[in-house]
Amino acid sequence: MIWLTWRQFRAPLLSVAAVLLVLVAALAFTWARVSDLAGSTGFTGCRAAACETAAQSFLAAVSSETAGWLYYVAIGVVLALPVLLGIFWGAPLAARELETGTYRLIFTQSVSRRRWLLVKLLIGGGAAALCTGLVSLVLTGWAAVIDEAEGNRINPLIFMARGIVPIAFAALAFVVGVTAGLLLRRTVAAMAVTLLVVAALQVAVPLVLPRLLAQPVTSVAALDLNAPFGLSVDLSTKEAHVDIDADMPDAWILSATVVTSSGAEFRARADPACLPSEDMGGFSEACRTWLAAQNLRQKVTYVPGSRFWALQWREFGVLIAVTLGLSWFALWWIRRRLT
Amino acid sequence: MTEALSAEGLTKRYGRRAALSDCSLAVPAGRVVGLVGPNGAGKSTLLQLACGLLDPTSGRIEVLGERPVSGSPRVGFVAQDTPVYAGLTVAEHLRMGAHVNPSWDAEFAERRIAQTGLDPAQRAGKLSGGQRAQLALTVAAAKQPDLLLLDEPVASLDPLARRTFLRGLMELTADRGTSVVMSSHLVADLERVCDYLIVLVASQVRVAGEVDDLLAGHHRLVGRRRDPAGLGAGIAVVEQSHTEVQSTLIVRSTAPIDDPSWQVDRLDLEDIVLAYMSESAPQWVLEGQR
Repeated sequence: MIWLTWRQFRAPLLSVAAVLLVLVAALAFTWARVSDLAGSTGFTGCRAAACETAAQSFLAAVSSETAGWLYYVAIGVVLALPVLLGIFWGAPLAARELETGTYRLIFTQSVSRRRWLLVKLLIGGGAAALCTGLVSLVLTGWAAVIDEAEGNRINPLIFMARGIVPIAFAALAFVVGVTAGLLLRRTVAAMAVTLLVVAALQVAVPLVLPRLLAQPVTSVAALDLNAPFGLSVDLSTKEAHVDIDADMPDAWILSATVVTSSGAEFRARADPACLPSEDMGGFSEACRTWLAAQNLRQKVTYVPGSRFWALQWREFGVLIAVTLGLSWFALWWIRRRLT
Repeated sequence: MTEALSAEGLTKRYGRRAALSDCSLAVPAGRVVGLVGPNGAGKSTLLQLACGLLDPTSGRIEVLGERPVSGSPRVGFVAQDTPVYAGLTVAEHLRMGAHVNPSWDAEFAERRIAQTGLDPAQRAGKLSGGQRAQLALTVAAAKQPDLLLLDEPVASLDPLARRTFLRGLMELTADRGTSVVMSSHLVADLERVCDYLIVLVASQVRVAGEVDDLLAGHHRLVGRRRDPAGLGAGIAVVEQSHTEVQSTLIVRSTAPIDDPSWQVDRLDLEDIVLAYMSESAPQWVLEGQR
């Protein structure tokens, strides 16, 4: 069974592996250059205040080189790979056998249907995880210094293309493809459904899962009126509301609100000085004074960058659990319901 | 003698459509059994139920005394249109067979491929219909099953390929004594290889028996027009047609017909099968005597 699986799977496996090896080689060749740039712009080993400008000049230097677009290509590949593997490896696996009738050849040999599917899932899913893991982990290492300069490694979109989460996602996408093929029995339909389901998961997972798993931190501090903020006043009710743009390096900000000393969100009848004036010249001093007198605080809920690996493992665990559940369903289906 | 296949009240439905309904039959072991019937009689469904590719909706089926499951080493199956992996070569099909069957006879498989003149390096997708059928039969037979089920294996073949395939099948069963159940809607194919015949019409067995007994026990009677009811005991009418002056009957009789007013003709197997398959055949002629 292992031989047959390998024989049927080797062409798609080797063609994908070849493309990925080119990408990995490109990352390997530019690795030293990225480190050099980090050193020459002074980002490596920078201290406190100097870091921000050093990071800016480092990122500017990187973006003008090959590494600049390679960064985006590699992120694109890691994000697209699970969908592609689900469509081209997973969906045809059972659907093609059911569609062309060859299932009647293989299922009447001395191999049970469940064993047939189990071997195919293990080898195909393992290969999908391995290929994606290779690219993702190399990219995570290669882009580590860039991520540090950007301070956005924990940001959901970047987070999805780093570490071990793509591995679990590829395994899940593969099993989604196989299951769609089993249920629909037609290759093209299974591919289309796999595309829709995996793409929807890829949008939904970063939106939902980190919020559930991250255990965000909340910090409350006095509102700094010298930092940029936005004041909005409802013209009919005269109700004032302050928006802030919390900027925190290496953190994923879930929410930032302005609260009063009681902890409730600040909404109050605006001082006449804060109403929009004819000259549109920004806040008047009187308005600032009024705001300062309100004793406002900013309340920021965020996930610190230091949680990166803990969150990676949690998300990995959830996705792998879903993958195993779906695999179990496919194994049950092929035994009990396929006939 | 254990039965190769037995079924009782066997029914398979797809939604509201019944592909096989309330079918009961017994197939003896150690024979080459022909399963004949018109299209839609349920032959394919019955064979796929027998190899575990389908599960019955209701009723009971036993194959070699067990409930059929797919993946059994004791049952071989060649499906209608003889599916093979288009991307694999002939030699790779044999290699696959060796990997997925513990009882695989590699030497036999290679010998048979050589005998049938297949090129081991050829991709199965490039084979002709006849060559593909030979490959599928080789894979099913080299597994050394106790029962080999063939679903219209020669339907798509030209007469020469058909003859080669059937000769290959006969050699195989002669060597091993494998039980074979083979479906077809062409009696001429079955006549050449089968020693037992079952006629299945609309899921029901119309007649079943040894080919020799069927040939010896059926006669065509031609005589002046009369009511067939007065034929006497031991004679069952299978089919009848009447003109103004003449009656033509196809009858089953255990005893010789000695009424001199009938002209008695022998029938070939095709005549017998067609008589049972035709509309006027009475439903109550069932199991043949053995």
